[in-house]
Amino acid sequence: MKTVRVQAQVDMELCQGCKTCQMVCPVYAIEVSRVDGKPQVNIDHDLCVGCWNCEQRCPDHAISMAPCEPFDLATDVSKFDYDEIHALCRKAHFHPKQLVCYCTATRAEEVAAAILDGASDPAEVVRACGVGSGCGIECNQPILRFLEAAGKTFERHKLSYQWYGRTATVWDVSDQVKKEHPGFRFDSDRDLLNSVVEAPIDNTKS
Amino acid sequence: MYNKALPPAPTRVSQYGVDPKTVVKRGAELKNIVGVPLTDLVTGLPPVIFPGGSNDVAVIRKETEAALAKVDMSKITAGSTVNILASHHGFTFFGGQPYAEMLRTIKDVVEQATGCKEVRLRAGLGMRFRETEEYIKAHGLDEYFNGKALGIAPIDAGIPIETELGTLFGLRKAYDADFIIHAHNSDVREVHFHRQVDRAVKPFGMSYARCETRSTYHMNLGPRAANFVARSIFESEFVQSKFAFACFLTMSPAGATGVDADTDLYALNDRVTVGGMRDYGKIMTLFGAIDECIAILDFPCPVPYVFACGVIYANMACANMDVFDLDYPLPPYTWYTETMYDDHGNPLIPEVPPVNPAIKTVVHNYAWIGYPSVFFAEKSPTIVVGKQQAELFDRDPMNLNYMKHALLADNLDGAMEFAYHTTGTRKVILFDGAAGGLNVSEPLAEHLYKVAPGVMERVEQKLLPKWLAQRNVDPALLDQVA
Repeated sequence: MKTVRVQAQVDMELCQGCKTCQMVCPVYAIEVSRVDGKPQVNIDHDLCVGCWNCEQRCPDHAISMAPCEPFDLATDVSKFDYDEIHALCRKAHFHPKQLVCYCTATRAEEVAAAILDGASDPAEVVRACGVGSGCGIECNQPILRFLEAAGKTFERHKLSYQWYGRTATVWDVSDQVKKEHPGFRFDSDRDLLNSVVEAPIDNTKS
Repeated sequence: MYNKALPPAPTRVSQYGVDPKTVVKRGAELKNIVGVPLTDLVTGLPPVIFPGGSNDVAVIRKETEAALAKVDMSKITAGSTVNILASHHGFTFFGGQPYAEMLRTIKDVVEQATGCKEVRLRAGLGMRFRETEEYIKAHGLDEYFNGKALGIAPIDAGIPIETELGTLFGLRKAYDADFIIHAHNSDVREVHFHRQVDRAVKPFGMSYARCETRSTYHMNLGPRAANFVARSIFESEFVQSKFAFACFLTMSPAGATGVDADTDLYALNDRVTVGGMRDYGKIMTLFGAIDECIAILDFPCPVPYVFACGVIYANMACANMDVFDLDYPLPPYTWYTETMYDDHGNPLIPEVPPVNPAIKTVVHNYAWIGYPSVFFAEKSPTIVVGKQQAELFDRDPMNLNYMKHALLADNLDGAMEFAYHTTGTRKVILFDGAAGGLNVSEPLAEHLYKVAPGVMERVEQKLLPKWLAQRNVDPALLDQVA
């Protein structure tokens, strides 16, 4: 869950229309076009999750983050059968109470609930529970692992640098790689992660 | 009688930190803080070339030229394009001057030796997407590289790289040249993550990589297996077709010790591994022998990266465990560890080790945003000095919850008074980047002098041989590494 308190705004005096902001937005909230040769930037504030990516990458320093009326990106876990949430988490190799987003403190159970609630691509998952709207780096793969576990496929947005795809997990590493590189202790680490996935569920479900 | 406190690393103007004018008192100015020379505590450290004397970076140029003279650059021709790949880490030592000078020298030597005129700088970063832009500007590197110096971030355009692990993703701008030169530094830094396994290779899975790859490292593989990410990228046909050589600023806890360069990254990696475990292993084990303390964070870096004698605070948080020992799967802090606590703060499995209980309180006098740091405030009582700093953290999308777990003090003296009163300890350690030694309170200095000889003996006799054996590194290399 994340409370959004700032959103992007653009200074058209500085904007050169390079489209970097559009390309780095994880939720496709920005569209840059040209009208009569002049850049036009449309920021959809119904979509913007206040992640700062555009502000941080704009080469012309044309974007700033402005305070907005606070609103929550959250999915109510209690609306869903917890066994269903647990099953989806387990399929993605997570414990429901595991943290998957360090920046927003979003846990696996909420990501699972967001998908059960209809989120079907990464941008929708971000908007549904805030996961991925902080650093924009570390929870990238958990989001994709959850979508895959739920059987959701999506086309990568061509006008974006985001969501290139799911990569290998320790459960995918081939026997040949393990044999050739024993020093990396793949099986031991897989067992450690499995023990977390299989840990008991606390009765105090959130 | 102890020496007076060492000068701390200066504050720095950055969008990731508070205005330096608001940092009205540094920890080193507190009463009873003394400076302990590292050589008083740690045995067998190699000689340092920087800082020292007049702190002239000419010595770095000379060392870089000497190291590069032994490197075969014949694959680079006059018509080639070359990217020097750098990382933000190197700029955090001594204001970044020595690392910047190494980068300038690499450019000059490559141009001179090969006739190549298209040598660019691509500087990767952690999570502060403009940080290397700030360093490039501060050191005039854009002008030096004729307008061809760029900061590259993990959300920039990617390029797929086929590896033994399947497809991973690098940053397009890192690889948009015929050849790449890997220009890094050898300090151990994030031992909790890399465990001194393929330390010299790691940037291929981080600074030069897309967020998908970084997330693979921190979320998909496990705390030790993760280190295979960088190796698999480096060994890919794509990267091997571009790799020219590596050039490292070699470091010890006391400062820069030289420059090492090689076309064989694994040979360089072995030297880095040995030197890192021998030198940093001692100071880190000594930190583990601190029985109780108040830690003051006072350096222009995010919370886990503020450092004392080259050891980052994240490693102090792990100092209750031997993080070099690969038989321990999980350090007290890694991103894997952080995921393994439930929403009440309880570990999900008994194997999760606690954060170093010797840290009784943290006084956050000056540290930056731009890294998810709430874990540290959750696990150790934390007092943040100054409302400007609290407001900065409240605004940061990576630290929205940091101040929910931290107290706020008006000033450093008030924070220390509270910390002394509530912890009952007078042992204080400063993570302030002081060069050549440690700033600590007198009671902690006394403790360190008492325990250091035993720690040095334990590292040399028991721990170092074990660490080397776990990594299949020949102990004879110890004699070859300065």
